[in-house]
Amino acid sequence: MWKSKVWIMSLVVLFIVSGCANSESTSNGNSEGDGSKTLTLWHIETGNSEVAIEDAVERFESNNEGVNVEVVRQENDPYKTKLSVAMGGGTPPDVFHSWGGGWLEKFVEAGQVKDISENINAEQYLPAALSPAEFDGKNYGAPLAMDIVPVWYNKEMFEELGLEEPETYDELLEIVETLKSNDIVPFSLANQSKWPGSFYYMYFAERFGGPELFNEAYNREGRGFDDEAYVKAGEKIQELAEMEAFPDGFNGMNFDTGQSRQLLYAEQAGMIIQGNWMLGTTRNDMPEFEEKLGFFLFPSIEGGQGSSKDIVGGVSPVFSVAEKSENQELAAELVKELTSKETAQQLANTDGAISAVKDVEYDDEYVAEISSVLEEAEYMQTFYDQTLPPELAEVHLDTTQALFGLSMTPEEAAKEVEEKAKEVLE
Amino acid sequence: MENNAKKWNLEEKEDQESDKVYTPPTPVRADQTKKKRKKQDFWVIIGFLGPALLIYGLYVVYSIAMTFYYSLFEWSGIDNSMVFTGIQNYITLLGDSVFWTSLQNNFLLVAASLLTQLPLGLIMALLLFSPIKGMRFFRSIYFMPFLMSTVAIGILFIYIYDGNFGIVNQILGQLGLESWQRGWLGNEDTAIWAVIATVCWQFAPFYMILFRAAIVGIPEELYEAAEIDGANSRKKFLNITLPLLIPTIITSSILSIIGALKYFDLIYVMTDGGPNNSTELMATYMYEQTFTNFNMGYGSSISFSMFIIALFVTIIIIIFDQRRKGVN
Amino acid sequence: MLKRIRQIPLYVLAILLLLFTGIPFFVMVSTSFKTQIEFMSSPWSLPESLSFENYRLLLESEFFRFFFNSVVVSVISVVAVIVLAAMASYPLARMRFKLNRPLFILFLVGMMIPIHTTLIPIFLLTKNMGLYDTIWALPGPYIAFALPVSIIIFTQFLKDLPKELEESAKMDGCGPFRLFWKILFPLLTPAVATVAIYNFIQIWNEFIFALVLTNSEENATLPLGLREFYGQFSVNVPGIMAALTLGSLPLLLIYLVAQEKIVKGIAAGSVKG
Repeated sequence: MWKSKVWIMSLVVLFIVSGCANSESTSNGNSEGDGSKTLTLWHIETGNSEVAIEDAVERFESNNEGVNVEVVRQENDPYKTKLSVAMGGGTPPDVFHSWGGGWLEKFVEAGQVKDISENINAEQYLPAALSPAEFDGKNYGAPLAMDIVPVWYNKEMFEELGLEEPETYDELLEIVETLKSNDIVPFSLANQSKWPGSFYYMYFAERFGGPELFNEAYNREGRGFDDEAYVKAGEKIQELAEMEAFPDGFNGMNFDTGQSRQLLYAEQAGMIIQGNWMLGTTRNDMPEFEEKLGFFLFPSIEGGQGSSKDIVGGVSPVFSVAEKSENQELAAELVKELTSKETAQQLANTDGAISAVKDVEYDDEYVAEISSVLEEAEYMQTFYDQTLPPELAEVHLDTTQALFGLSMTPEEAAKEVEEKAKEVLE
Repeated sequence: MENNAKKWNLEEKEDQESDKVYTPPTPVRADQTKKKRKKQDFWVIIGFLGPALLIYGLYVVYSIAMTFYYSLFEWSGIDNSMVFTGIQNYITLLGDSVFWTSLQNNFLLVAASLLTQLPLGLIMALLLFSPIKGMRFFRSIYFMPFLMSTVAIGILFIYIYDGNFGIVNQILGQLGLESWQRGWLGNEDTAIWAVIATVCWQFAPFYMILFRAAIVGIPEELYEAAEIDGANSRKKFLNITLPLLIPTIITSSILSIIGALKYFDLIYVMTDGGPNNSTELMATYMYEQTFTNFNMGYGSSISFSMFIIALFVTIIIIIFDQRRKGVN
Repeated sequence: MLKRIRQIPLYVLAILLLLFTGIPFFVMVSTSFKTQIEFMSSPWSLPESLSFENYRLLLESEFFRFFFNSVVVSVISVVAVIVLAAMASYPLARMRFKLNRPLFILFLVGMMIPIHTTLIPIFLLTKNMGLYDTIWALPGPYIAFALPVSIIIFTQFLKDLPKELEESAKMDGCGPFRLFWKILFPLLTPAVATVAIYNFIQIWNEFIFALVLTNSEENATLPLGLREFYGQFSVNVPGIMAALTLGSLPLLLIYLVAQEKIVKGIAAGSVKG
């Protein structure tokens, strides 16, 4: 009996001691005693973009002696979860990546993001790129690059079939018919993660309802998410789905793992509506396909209020400073360096990114062409799923996927989004 | 058959089993030192259970308590403004159709797991005892699914079920069943079955090793006695192996049911709950609410409901098991 | 001869199951030798030539550090789980006391909580213990969440051992701890092997706790090390398969060793019993 008591005691002691011993060994990351400061940066860039980020950090470190930046590249998919837990647990990184919009706004509302209007020079950035991180007239993040969404197509295939880039939606429908009659899937689409299908909905809605439609619905003034334009957008999607304009089982296919791109490369599909990252991805997946890759803008629809010069796009990355950062001013400096013209130029040269910073010159013809589209654009519709508050974005994505799957009528889908919008936005 | 069982000492063994379960190690002069023994037992129990309870309490019990606590608040999870709302989250949950869909899917998964994983695991375990050459090789390969990481399984099966390149459709094409071809994961009616099949495929080998370890433990003498009585292999299986495997089958059932009720991984990789929430499980829905929609409070109420449901089911199994023992 | 013929259906079944269970693993390995371009053009074909590019990339990265971290975390956790769970199962399986059932159920209920809701409480706990962003943050939750399954398996095995074992040991004046470690534990070998296999695989592949409780690359485990192959919009599938293939080799080894133990342990046990 006595023996076992000792035994338990020693176990408890062991437990406590081992806990203490471990806690001592942890403080290696944040050495503050010797006057040096450590900033943490979380980003999700890969390849050449990652190099550009690291170079920017190096410049920052050499300009700020005694400051050490711990750069941690996060994986895209679980990044959101990891940042939420870190924010909830009170230890966010000093500088972090976002896409602006509703997701960042959640953190702003929670008082977790520093207002950096005073720190950055707003003039330096394209206004369209700055606005996703602007709430109540204050800047909560600085943008580095932008994305737009054109319709990509196989130039060679179009030539062989005597097809041309369409000017109107009716012409696009004719292309769909022609491709179908040649046993080619008109649009490759991998809609498991739901955002690729959302491109169609955004374009149709804008082409019917005009550039102000979304803003009216989002700001709760004028038309809502159940507007006729949204119902028509749903109808057009279902029209395409009923024509079998998409591959078999597209709602279960995954863009990340390459299922929709494969159809394009294998010339089993003629077109794909995707962001300009398609270019970098293709160069990586199938370099010889690049010369066949052409793009046009989603055409306007007869009788609709939108023009084919209005484009859907977004901003990524946006860098923000955490309110809980112990070195806010330094962190803001780091954000400035990360979104400097130099960084943007490097990103444009090496990774074909469209800059969110003004006066960047493009080496790459392709990128120059895409960016000129952006400059000529009359209106940029930011991605719904990034602009809307997350729970509303989720309803938009779910209902759109259901529209594609023909398991919901356009009226039902529009009504569901509008109901959630009333709950969340009003 | 009953006679045979008696001959082979089966019942005797059962008896031993049922009363030895709760018999404390009895010192020789038990009656006189009952009190002292009780005290000693107490310290033995503490000594053996204490360390496990300590670490378990620290992480698991604490987490369960916190989950319940969070579920009483409206809270985003990323700030300090927690608003106490009592059972409001649970009331909302009762009217949430996605939650009911996910609950239904979870029970589908439970049924499918019980009906496929356990029999498949048992068949594979039995095969390992049959006189097949190269057993070691078979044994290693059979285990492969459980050994692969979920990421690899997810990616591979996304391709296996693909509507255009997928193996499933190619096989159907070869068999002349073109009309059955489809994009399995993209179709709301088939997606859940496609994922369930994958989950069962992944876990069957785990039950194989459980059964294998249990079969190894069956005394050889029982089989020898049966052989003397001229029992064939089918009889040996029905009268010896199966009855003696019942405790393992019950354990496996509990593991399988609970595993299915809180399943998350492959759904997350393969369909993320889609299309149109048709493959949503309680755990994936909870994850979406907590980390995508910033509803930590509501997400916690889903978790705690999962906990209650699993607890309820387990208690039913235990009571059922108790009854069975009582009848015996 | 007749016996041979009878065995044919057995072989057919065995081989069917072999294909059923083995092909995906084979595809994983063969994909890992492809390039992204090859994979994109034909996902199912065998690699035209063995490309070691992915493996080279892996070995150039911090792969060995990830590997080492994974080994440390997994071994510590699995050993601790075996010791703690086996000990806890002893009173639960073989002693009669009031709290027996409730305690057993308490351990059972731990399996029912989905780990994702425990992320925030455990994150806070880990931070307060000063273990955040060290590999020592991981064994705690791994052990705690592995206890229930392990205790269930051990308890069931312990219940099946004959009670005479203890009685004769008591007669010899053997204390409860010696009785357990010297007499009962060796007989548990098949259960230990089962528990070890199960937990090692789970812990080796564990992702979400590792993601949340560590941060810097030096403390990453293998599943986190995969991020080399994830881009923002596309994934290098062959690269991931290479990493997963390399990462699964130790598991295969553990499995083979543990399987032998299951057989040998029983043989030893029956001699003693």
